[in-house]
Formats: sequence, C-alpha cells, structure tokens
Amino acid sequence: MGARSKKTLLSKKILLGSAMAVALVAGSAGALMAQGKPVIATVVKISGIPWFDRMETGVKQFQKDNPDVVATQYGPATADAAQQLQIVTDLIAKGVNGLAVVPMDPSVLEGTLKRAMDRGIIVVTHEADNQKNTHADVEAFDNADYGRALNARLAECMGGKGKWTTFVGSLGSRTHMQWVGAGEENAKKHPEMTLVDPNNESFDDANGTYEKAKEILRKHPDIKGFQTSAGNDVLGVGRAIDEAGLAGKVCLVGTGLPNPSADLLDAGAITAIGFWDPQKAGMAMNAVAKKLIAKEKVEDGANLGVPGYEKVKVTKGPGEGLLIIGNGMVIADKKNYKEFLF
Amino acid sequence: MSATHLTESAAVPIARPNSLLALVRRRPELITLALLVAICVAVSIINPAFLQPSSLVDIGRASVVMGLFALGVFIILAAGGIDVSFTAIAAFTMYSMTLLVKNHWPDAPIALVLVAATAGGALLGVVNGLLVHYLRVPSLIVTIGTQYLFRGILLAFIGTVWIMSLPPTMGAFGRLPLFQFESADGRTITLPFYFLVLPAAALVTWWMLNRTLMGRAIFAIGGNANVAERLGYSLRTIHIFMFAYAGALAGLAGIIHTAANRQSNPFDLVGTEINVIAAVVLGGARITGGTGTVIGTLLGVLLVVVVNSVLVMVGIPSTWQRVVVGGFILLAAAFFVFCQKKN
Repeated sequence: MGARSKKTLLSKKILLGSAMAVALVAGSAGALMAQGKPVIATVVKISGIPWFDRMETGVKQFQKDNPDVVATQYGPATADAAQQLQIVTDLIAKGVNGLAVVPMDPSVLEGTLKRAMDRGIIVVTHEADNQKNTHADVEAFDNADYGRALNARLAECMGGKGKWTTFVGSLGSRTHMQWVGAGEENAKKHPEMTLVDPNNESFDDANGTYEKAKEILRKHPDIKGFQTSAGNDVLGVGRAIDEAGLAGKVCLVGTGLPNPSADLLDAGAITAIGFWDPQKAGMAMNAVAKKLIAKEKVEDGANLGVPGYEKVKVTKGPGEGLLIIGNGMVIADKKNYKEFLF
Repeated sequence: MSATHLTESAAVPIARPNSLLALVRRRPELITLALLVAICVAVSIINPAFLQPSSLVDIGRASVVMGLFALGVFIILAAGGIDVSFTAIAAFTMYSMTLLVKNHWPDAPIALVLVAATAGGALLGVVNGLLVHYLRVPSLIVTIGTQYLFRGILLAFIGTVWIMSLPPTMGAFGRLPLFQFESADGRTITLPFYFLVLPAAALVTWWMLNRTLMGRAIFAIGGNANVAERLGYSLRTIHIFMFAYAGALAGLAGIIHTAANRQSNPFDLVGTEINVIAAVVLGGARITGGTGTVIGTLLGVLLVVVVNSVLVMVGIPSTWQRVVVGGFILLAAAFFVFCQKKN
C-alpha cells in the first residue's frame, strides 16, 4: 500500500468515527420520540468526565421531577467541536423539541443552531454568553464576577505580589477567556503582581497540563501563582507543584471539582477551587427549555425552581435571545471543600 | 544496527564521491540527531534557562510512554504495515487492569500488574495479527477497525468513570524515584523509576530485530512480502508475532501512563497516534517498510517531545504553538525526504 492511500484512509477514519457517533445518537433519539412528549436533549462538551457526569445526574433528576417531558444527555467521547456539531445536527434531524447545549466552541455551532431555531426547536445554551443563535443562554454566575473572585483568592494567597500565569481549556473557549480576562483586570489592583506567559492551552488534559506546568516552573523558578480554567487543569498543575515540593509555596486557584481535587487540596498543592454545580446548571437549562417549549416567559427575578437559580437576572443576550444569570458560584478550599463532595 | 541491510550493499560504492551523504544514507537517524542537537542549541541560546538538569529529566520522563508506543509502531512499520490501534489497546488494558486490581486484589505486586498488562496488550495484538493475516486486508484498515472495537468495548462494557485513586501499589510505582535531587532554588526534581522501562524495552527490541531470525523476517517481509514468503518465512507467524509485540508494548505503556498520571481515564490516549507515527517516521523509518533502526526511533521520539516541550521556554505565545509544531513537523519531514532522495 502506498503512502498516499494511507493518508486518504486516515481522513476516512475520521469520517467513519463521526458517522458511528451519529448512528448511535440517531438510534437512541428515535426511540425516545415515539413517546409523544416534548423531547429535550442536553448536549455536553464531552461525556464521561466527572463534570458532565454530574450534569447528567441533574438531567436525570429533572426527568424524574418532570415526567411530562423526555430529558436525556448526549456528548462526544472526545472534546472535539466537530464531533459535537455532528451530534447536534443529528438531533435536529430527528426533530427534538428542545436542545440544551454546552458548546465546545460557540462559533462552530452558530449556523446549526440557527437551522434548529428556524425549525421551531427551542435552543438553550450554557457557558456561551456570546452565542447569537439561542433562545436563552443560562449562566451559573456572572463570568466577570467569577474570574475576579478566583483572582482575588489567588492574590490573597500570593500576598499581592509575584509572577503568575493563566491556563485556559482552549483559546476558543469563551468563558475561560473571560475568567482569565477578568482575573487580569483584578490583578491590576496589585501592581506587584506580574503576569507571565498567559493563556496556556490545556485541552482539559491533566497530563498535558502537568508537562506544561513543569515547563513554566522551569522557565520562571520564582513564579508564585497559577489561575486555571478547565476542570482538569488544577489536577495537572497541582501534581507539578506537589512533585516539585512547592505545595504551600506556589498558589493555585482554578476551576475544579471537589472529589478529584481532594488529595491535592489536603496536600496544599491546590489553594482553592472554584466551581458551580453542573447538576444544578443541567437542571436549570432543562427548566428554561421546558418553560420556553410551553411558550411561557422567563422574566427578570424569575424562580427556575433550582437551588442557585431562585432569582435569576435576565437581560437581552447578544442575539435575539435572553441571557439568564443565576447565583451559583462556590469557591472552596482545604477547610470547607468537604461540604460540597461530588 | 543492520536495519538498512537491504540497500546497504548498493549504496556504498555509488556514494563514495561524497562520504557525508553516504553516511547519511546508511544512517538516516543522523539527520534526526542533527535536528535534535540544532533545536537544543537554538533553544539554549534563546533561553539559557533550558540548560539545567531538570529539562533533561522532564524530557526523559515525557518520552517513556511515547517511546514504548513508537517501538511497537516501528516494528510494524519495518514490516511494511501500519498500526493505529495501539492507543486503544493501551487505554483498554490500563483501565481494565486498574479496575480489576482495585476491585479484586488491591495489594497485587506491581511486577505482576505490569506482566498482566503486557500480556493483555499482547492478546489484543494477536487479534490484530489474526485479522490482518486471514482477512488479507491492509493493516491500516484492520487497525482502524480494531481501534474503534477495543475502545467501544472499553467504554460500553467496562466503564467510563475516571478512577482517581489508584490501588496503592500502582500509585507507589508511579511515585518511586530512580534518583531525586534538589535544584538550586530548592525544588525537588525526580526521575521516576519507571523511566528504566524504556531503555529496557529498546534493548529487547534491538536484540529481537538484529539478533534473531524473527527480526530478519520482519525486515524481509517489509522489503517484499512475496519474496519473503517464497524464501520460506511463515507470514502467519510473523504477522501474529509483530502485532502481539506491538500490543504488549502498548499494554505496558498504558499501565505506566496510568501510574505516572495517578489516575486512570478511559478516554485517554486515543487521538495521540499521529504524533507517535510522526516520531517514528522522523526517526528515519520509511512508511513503506523495510528500513529503520531502534536508535532512530528513539531519536524521533525525543525530537517530537523536545519540540512540544520548549514552546513556552522560547516564549512562543499560546496562539502560535500549534502553528509552530505543525510547521516544524512538515519542515523536518521535507528535509528528511530531501536528504534521502539526494542519495
């Protein structure tokens, strides 16, 4: 076999993969449609990781509380915007009534979500407050507030001085960029804090983040702080800090889940983790989708019936849709993370 | 290493006018070595902070898993085939082994765990070998299929939940230091014990390829399968052996990846195979088979690891990092092909 045919086959392999993922989704969605109730499909960035497993418990809880709808969760096996697009496209073709999407990359989904809305499908998004083609974007909290809060915690640990850097899941991940952006703004209050080599991409891969954190520790032996964004970043950076014997000397504040971070929090390698409960966010997205499918309005101060979303702030989003902001931010450290174990 | 013996006899007399080119032709891995040295020198000039023992330790540690994969891919490539299922084999064995040990025998000795993972990987490799031999389908097609098959079975039947706390013996193996020292600024630098697995596997692979009949047979069918068969080599035995060997290395790599990472993630690894294949090709093995050396493969791995781990060091902003890596692989490959054609 020649080298050329091998190359073609490699690209075919990718096609084959997407086709298989779509076939799986098509099969299960088809079965659900038969029941005649409104179908709300939640599509996450990646399935099987603790964060979105937790969201799935919310979707399941919502299903239990609302037997008059069918709520299920889908997601690609790898964090890949193209695979997520395939899943959304296929769910649209199957004619679901509502889509609750956590976009990997909002811009990739714009065209497809518009087609969905044109077909009368209710679209609700999460972690994408720049999404134009959505009826409502649900945010757990104001992203700028969250970024500032993370950075304030980091600055407190650093004593307001020293070198620090930031990690994001990917440069296309809007919320991550907002968090580190707001963090940078906040750090300006502390003139002795110097940002170095910012916005390192982690791709939510703990091992890759670990290697990158090692490299940063080598380049900047005097670095004092890390602010991270994707759920696995604290694990990778935390392991690098722990192994270098720098626990307690270098500060690390970032988004993370209490359960996986527990050891590193106890060891002092992670200063604090920030999060919102994906379970509640999943429930809130589905609650909004259900209301909109029933042609009900969601107004400023509305109660979605989900903890942290009892009195939501509603404004106009970047497109025609609404921007719904709850109050579900949690920042936990060694002392109190056990209250939130999941 | 006699990997290039198929072309060696013809090469020497023609190339005499230019002995440097002749040397490069006989030893294509010298190009890889030259590139590697050039990068290290360039990085050290841009940022002298690169020149410290911790760089070497980090590069060594980051090369282990990729190096084990690359040795397996190299064997298959030398025989004129290709394997893209090794990451799925690694993910399958590492996750199933971790689950098995955690649930049924948490104190299992680490040596046994390593042997079992290697054997498990070899078993999955045998599936590849049998399919390649009896279906008479190119190995690329077969291994694309088995990559999905192994991964599908793993995610559908074995589990999708990350294992965050490993069984104690595996965790201890991941942390066991080969040597440890304090750097000038007081941080601990550790070369893990599992690093030794890579040179050991490389030695075994080198011995197998250069000192056994099987090694001769692998290069022979990579050169021309029909001729090799007429010469009396059993294609069936060779196919099964080489895929089992690559599978065994993948199983071993998987368990080391898990132990080093302190977590077992069933979604891990798959998707990194292109990097590994690129490393093997950059190490001088031709994608059409019949050539290559173990040392070249290791140099190729080092090249890819070094390029990936100096981007922050030389201050390339994160927006540009992917462009730089892609551009570099293209350039290196082009340079390689150019040198080989020149000869």
